[in-house]
This record gives sequence, structure tokens and C-alpha cells, in this order.
Amino acid sequence: MDHPIRVVHYLNQFFGGIGAEEQAYAPVQFKDGAVGPGRALQAALGDEATVVGTIVSGDNYFTEETESAKAAAGELLDQLKPDVMIAGPAFDAGRYGLACAEVCRLAQDRGITAVTGMYADNAGVLTYRSEMLAVSTGIDASEMAPSLQKMARLAMKVLHGDELGPASVEGYVPRGFRRPIAHGHFGYERAVGMLTARLAGNPHESEMLISNYDVVPPATPIGGAENAVIGLVSSGGLVPRGNPDHLVGAHSEHFYRYPLDGFDSLSVEHWESVHGGFGTLILNTKDPNYAMPLRTVRHLERQGAIKSVYPTFFSTTGNGTAVSSARRMGGEIAAELAENHVDGVLLVAT
Amino acid sequence: MMTAMPAIPLSVGANRIIRGVRVPHVCGDPALSEDRDRELSERIVRTALGALATPVTEPTLFEPSQSAPEKVTA
Repeated sequence: MDHPIRVVHYLNQFFGGIGAEEQAYAPVQFKDGAVGPGRALQAALGDEATVVGTIVSGDNYFTEETESAKAAAGELLDQLKPDVMIAGPAFDAGRYGLACAEVCRLAQDRGITAVTGMYADNAGVLTYRSEMLAVSTGIDASEMAPSLQKMARLAMKVLHGDELGPASVEGYVPRGFRRPIAHGHFGYERAVGMLTARLAGNPHESEMLISNYDVVPPATPIGGAENAVIGLVSSGGLVPRGNPDHLVGAHSEHFYRYPLDGFDSLSVEHWESVHGGFGTLILNTKDPNYAMPLRTVRHLERQGAIKSVYPTFFSTTGNGTAVSSARRMGGEIAAELAENHVDGVLLVAT
Repeated sequence: MMTAMPAIPLSVGANRIIRGVRVPHVCGDPALSEDRDRELSERIVRTALGALATPVTEPTLFEPSQSAPEKVTA
């Protein structure tokens, strides 16, 4: 580098100091120098590079108004001309993770070295795994400083053109690439080695990483909604007011079944959302039907647009939910619905 | 699946996806009058019912009908 290395940092509204969930629609904006966690980033970079500015955006703004957000962030990158873009880390925050991934892609399109950090199950990884370099982090901000140190180290390594080692060695989220290497042992030797290690109960590492995600064949279409029994599922954290089952606001491993008989609508007197991943003020003070449209479904039932509504609805919180838990819960819900001859399901995902 | 963030289910493989309004109010819009809000909710749910009756071969996004009122920024 023949000039001081310029780094731009991306943060969401919370870490960028604008505000909490009520600022989730804050548009893309620029702040001079390092902000919030950016100070730890600057410390990690040392004298080698300078955080010249911080791009901040509300999480909802970036994930819902993606095109405007990307245009604004892209314009800032064009003006700032950094050598390096550091985004986040976003830990297990899905909207933030997606925004970090998008910002990294914008930077890379401009030839800027980009590194983010997030939890391996973050929506950003699920969407852009192969297109970004993300340090693998835990689920919450308690790992902020070490995560930023790893991100800074990785970014400098890429910037200087040093070859990256495998994900498990360098500490980034696997991107799904397999690189041929010359190995000192033949495949059959390695396979037998793994087998004997396994039989002996010793640690061993498979060379075949299996993707976490299933390809689910689409269900056959229902013949017509007017003859269909419709089931209702929501991951919006909806519970009877007072939350008698103690549904959690994040990392849920359980779903709950609530009877709908006698309910024409979900009222704020009787229902609330305990979701911890977005602002629930509207659901909890105005209308819980926004996260499970019972009022509309009942209306359509009376009109004959559907045959009937399955009398139990299934509720959980979709927020940092482990894929394994989601798969198990989905299977259990689907089994009950199938057993009871439900034709189609409306699932609201917040 | 009705969601305000269709990019995620499109990438992880949900097959029938209906675009909702916003994360805090997927199935309607509190900025609208009560009548128009209920119309919007009905359009979203009817789009979802139509999606259930539509053959798909891969993750597919269904847009609630074009007459939807303009989104109002919170």
C-alpha cells in the first residue's frame, strides 16, 4: 500500500448509536470516524489502518428497502473510496447479518476488501455464504472485541494478498468451496484412519462437510381453497396475554398450541407477542392479527372462500432459532396437521 | 409463508412465499384506515390461498395484487 489504509465500518442503528428497535427504519447515513464498536476495531487495526468513517442503517430499512439502502451505501463507498470494508459483527441478528452481507457485496463489487462477522446460522450466511468472508462468531455481543480482532486480522491478510487457509483454521464461516490440495496420504489411508479413530472414540474430522439445509419438495397444490381446511402457524411470538407457557423471545426450542374455537380475531386484550427480535408495539397495542391474520381468515371462512380453519393454531418465536430446532418443530406441526386432514397452512414469519 | 423479508425464505428453500408488508406488521398496515387495512390483509391472505392452489417447482414469490395501496414509511 502506498497510502495509509482506509477502513469504513458498517453498523446497524443500535451499534451505530442512533437508537434501538424504534429506529429500525432509520435510513442509511454516514458518521465520521469510528463509532461504538468501531473504537475496538480501530484498536485491533492499530497503526496499520484507520477507520475513516462509519455507515449506519436501521435493520428494517436495509432489509425492506434494500434497493434504496444499497444505492445509498454504494454512493458512500464511491465517495469514501476505502481499501477495506468491515461490517458488523452481526452475531445472530438476522436482519443485521443480511445488511452486513449486502454491504460486503457492494464493497467487493468495487474492488474493496470486505470482511464481516456473524454466527454460522445467521440469515446473512444462509443467503450469501459463498459471496462473503465472514468471521465465525457466537450469538451475542459478549464476543465483540475478539470478533473484531479476528475480522481486522483477516481483512489485512486478504488486503495484502496473502492466501487464506481453510475456514476452520482461519476462523471464518465456510463458504462452500472445496480447494484441491496435495495430501501426503491417499484417500483410502485417510478413510481407514478416520474409521479407526472413530472406533477408538478418538477425535476425527470428516473431509465432507454436509450442508445444513434440506431441499424440500413443494407440496402438491390444494384443489381449491373453497374446499380446504386451513391451518394457522406463526413464528411471531404470539401467546395468550401473560404468556402462561413462558414462550421465549429468542432461541425457542418449543412451539405451543392454542385453541381458536370461539375466537373471531386476536384481540390485544387476550393476546400479545413476546418476540424479542423486532418492535412488537404495533402487535401489542394495536392488532395481533398482523402476525396471524385470524380476523381475515374468519371473514374468508364466512364468505366460503375456505372451508374451515383448523381449530388449533401453532405458535413459536422465530428469532435466532437453531435450524435443528426449527426442523423438529416444523416436522411435529406438519405431522399433526397432516393427521387431521388439514389441506393447506398459512404461516406468518416475522 | 407470509413474510416481509422474502429474500431469506427464497434462499433457504421455502416453496410458496407471499410478500407481507413489514416485519412488525406482516399482514396489514396500521398507517391505513381500518377499511383499507382490512382490504390489504384480505389481499395478502387471498394471495396466500391462491399460492397454495398453484403448482410450483422451486421457491416462488407471490406478490399480493398490484392494486395494493402504497406502503407508508413508519
